[in-house]
Amino acid sequence: MLIPRRVKHRKQHRPDRHGTASGGTRVAFGEFGLQALEPAYVTNRQIEAARIAITRHIRRGGKVWITVYPDRPLTKKPAETRMGSGKGSPEWWVANVKPGRVMFELSYPNEKVAREALRRAAHKLPMKCRIVRREAGEI
Amino acid sequence: MAEIRMDTQPRTEFGKGAARRVRRSGWVPAVVYGHGTEPTHVSLPEHDLMLALKAANVLLELQIEGQPTLVLPKSVQRDPVRSTLEHVDLVIVKRGEKVVVDVPVTITGKVAADGLVELVSAALSVETEATHIPTEILVSVDDVPVGSSVRAGEVALPAGTTLAADPDSVVVMVTAPQAAEEAAEAVEGAAEGAAEGAEGAVPAEPAEA
Repeated sequence: MLIPRRVKHRKQHRPDRHGTASGGTRVAFGEFGLQALEPAYVTNRQIEAARIAITRHIRRGGKVWITVYPDRPLTKKPAETRMGSGKGSPEWWVANVKPGRVMFELSYPNEKVAREALRRAAHKLPMKCRIVRREAGEI
Repeated sequence: MAEIRMDTQPRTEFGKGAARRVRRSGWVPAVVYGHGTEPTHVSLPEHDLMLALKAANVLLELQIEGQPTLVLPKSVQRDPVRSTLEHVDLVIVKRGEKVVVDVPVTITGKVAADGLVELVSAALSVETEATHIPTEILVSVDDVPVGSSVRAGEVALPAGTTLAADPDSVVVMVTAPQAAEEAAEAVEGAAEGAAEGAEGAVPAEPAEA
């Protein structure tokens, strides 16, 4: 599972969820991509589940790129705890994904199989997604 | 490729409010510059521009203050979700002038059995005449064995076009498929199971610098 090797601070403020993606909005590496249509925190477990869903469906003969990284820690206070006494302990590692961001890219010779693999991956993710294709000649 | 003629409207008010008003009325804000001229702010019809920009490096002939001006799109800003046009940068070109543009690469031919084609560079930077920009550069993978690549210097370019990119840069790779995922995942699954057992309620934490 993806996790930062070393961080400057263990606990951070919650990432900003407003606006749209400012980069990584086009398919850059593969032929097909999975693009977020809503903002969400995507945990490293969800990224891993989606990656497994893709690789298990395509079996072999393709290549997968993960273009988001869960570098933001989210904390949680234990259940039935009174407020105060400092910030909770880190619980999840998330990628702050905004609408328009391409999260997974896939190169596979068969379009039908590629789309099905990405559809399965979308079910593992916490937001609405769409499958996009690299367009020739697009600036 | 023949140039596409397009009307323009001059823009006199600026800022996001004015730009949004322009977009709401079915036009796209644009700026035209190049050849040492002062930048000119114009609006272009959204639907015509959207259709024109479906092709790469389309040559546009704009009527700016009654003068025909040849331009090439330099930068296109789109909405990341709706893909609508938000703003376009256009650079002035002259007939017969040589320009450096990125031309999309199209793969042709059948790759050897069990090989996977990976397009490393989706576009190739070439120098060509502004009025004769090729629409695509064909790269054949017919005779490319698995495990090798096609470099920019090996690509056959259309007549009147010279390479502006590094000739050693890789354009297309033909790779062997990834090893059987099942075996790799079985190993990963076993490793994860062990890690989760060890973690308990505490998530894996990286070291703090």
